[in-house]
Amino acid sequence: MQTPRRSVGVLDSTPGMPSTPRCARHSLAGWLGCLFPALLVGLFFSAQALADADPSFSVQGFGTLGAVRSDTDDVEFVRDLSQARGATNEWTAKTDSVIGLQANWRIAPKWQVVAQGISRYRYDRSFKPEMAWAFVKYEPAPNLSLRAGRLGTEFFMQADSRWVGYSFLTVRPPGDFFWYLPFYSIHGADVALSVPAGEGIVRGKVFYGLSRGKIPLADEQWEIKASPMQGGYLEYQAGAWQLRASYANIRFKRDLPIARVLKQESNYDLTADQQRFLAAKGTRTHYYSLGVVYDRGPWQAQLMLNHIRQGTRTLEDSDGGYALIGYRTGQVTPYVGYSWVRSKAREKPVTGDPLADAVTAYVMQDAHSEQNTRFLGMRWDVARNVALKAQWDRVQGSSSSLFPYRRDDRPNWDGRMDVFSLSMDFVF
Amino acid sequence: MSRRFLRLLLFCLGGLIAGPALADLVVVVNARSGVAAMTRSDVINIFFGRNRQFFNGLEALPVDLEDMHPQRVQFYKQLVGKDLSEINAYWSRQVFTGRMQAPPRLSSTDEVLKWVATRPGGIGFVELSRADARVRVVYELKP
Repeated sequence: MQTPRRSVGVLDSTPGMPSTPRCARHSLAGWLGCLFPALLVGLFFSAQALADADPSFSVQGFGTLGAVRSDTDDVEFVRDLSQARGATNEWTAKTDSVIGLQANWRIAPKWQVVAQGISRYRYDRSFKPEMAWAFVKYEPAPNLSLRAGRLGTEFFMQADSRWVGYSFLTVRPPGDFFWYLPFYSIHGADVALSVPAGEGIVRGKVFYGLSRGKIPLADEQWEIKASPMQGGYLEYQAGAWQLRASYANIRFKRDLPIARVLKQESNYDLTADQQRFLAAKGTRTHYYSLGVVYDRGPWQAQLMLNHIRQGTRTLEDSDGGYALIGYRTGQVTPYVGYSWVRSKAREKPVTGDPLADAVTAYVMQDAHSEQNTRFLGMRWDVARNVALKAQWDRVQGSSSSLFPYRRDDRPNWDGRMDVFSLSMDFVF
Repeated sequence: MSRRFLRLLLFCLGGLIAGPALADLVVVVNARSGVAAMTRSDVINIFFGRNRQFFNGLEALPVDLEDMHPQRVQFYKQLVGKDLSEINAYWSRQVFTGRMQAPPRLSSTDEVLKWVATRPGGIGFVELSRADARVRVVYELKP
């Protein structure tokens, strides 16, 4: 017996309706081409589906229209390091705007197929839609889930819902905590198990897979595809409280494209020694985090801490975190927060070649972060499934805090910046 | 579509004129489920999908009312002090991370009772006065 699921855009299985299984996902374009009509039909027929169907197939979506500007053009403000360009002192919609569509297909009582397409500003400066995830889920028991395919990675709490603005309070996840996480998905598998314990639930999850994607570096891109990634978390949730500890690591398959960037920008040839010194290939980065969430009545509060240990000399070990508190009155939820990140500068090389050492040191300085952000904002649930948000971030840091940004103008950047954001988040 | 809209309109008008009338809500399970009573935490864990089975191992199949139903508003207000927009935000996170879907939403108490009565693991919320022999009351919501 299938469970009738009420969700906007449910397609019923009436003969004559476009049957989605036929929408083979040969290509992304084909897949989206199938999805959009399916969505429209789904919206039109949702009333019927409500009545009495066996909606083993549903389409849902989310999106954000956002505008952001800062008060400086010394650096470009990005949502995370997966974005090639960012916001300056002119309003831009590219940083935060996103549209996503997800199809859920229950193929048997314990089996589901889930695919999500997403379009957002990315490493290649385009909004080219991509398949965020596409996996098969098997639930042999009610509290046990096994997934395989293209999966979102959740190595910090809420890392896999970073683009679903409607699901959280702030305009975007606090940057000091999330900037260095340009990883979104793996080709792999995960297992999650929940076990009741007293008044609460203990939940654990482990995942393994090969990373996907690219990270922009100047006009080049760092290929992180096929880098093995693994991790897991343990969580306890009871009443209004949720506590989680998580760990993950990634072993990089490729070096950063530093040699190409230097060649292109300064016509400088990195020596073999320098390349060896700055290598990322084969190094492992470890991510540790702790999170506490309180959510009851009008109050919402979060405290998250992370520690990142980098294997390559090109990147610095760091500690970051944020605290956030919000209180809802009617449909409006004002919030305040504080976030920070500090990275530890590494020993610069001394090889007897002062020019080479200066270049290497210059490259390494790019990975430094040392700043905090105070933010203040408001979420207004203006209509069913639509939220408007406004936020003001005041970043205060050292002028050496370059890692979180793009296109830094090092001589002018003073480490201080105000960021103003407006957004409309929705789900459908 | 239009029926839903009409119901919505009536609900809004009703709210304007009389203010929401609060019925006593109770959580009901299938009478043959073997479940006799639940704590508030048990109810929260099941309705928020944190726990998907009863203490005896039976798979829990929670059912909700449609989005703007006044008793849906009341249920989440009394259970966790949350507004529906926050409940919907919670489910949008679960859905779009691919973790799980929200419980199905039915349009009336009759349908909820039918759902619970026809599934061993069915669990829903109804007005106390509507709970009949097919179901068992396991938790009473307090204002």
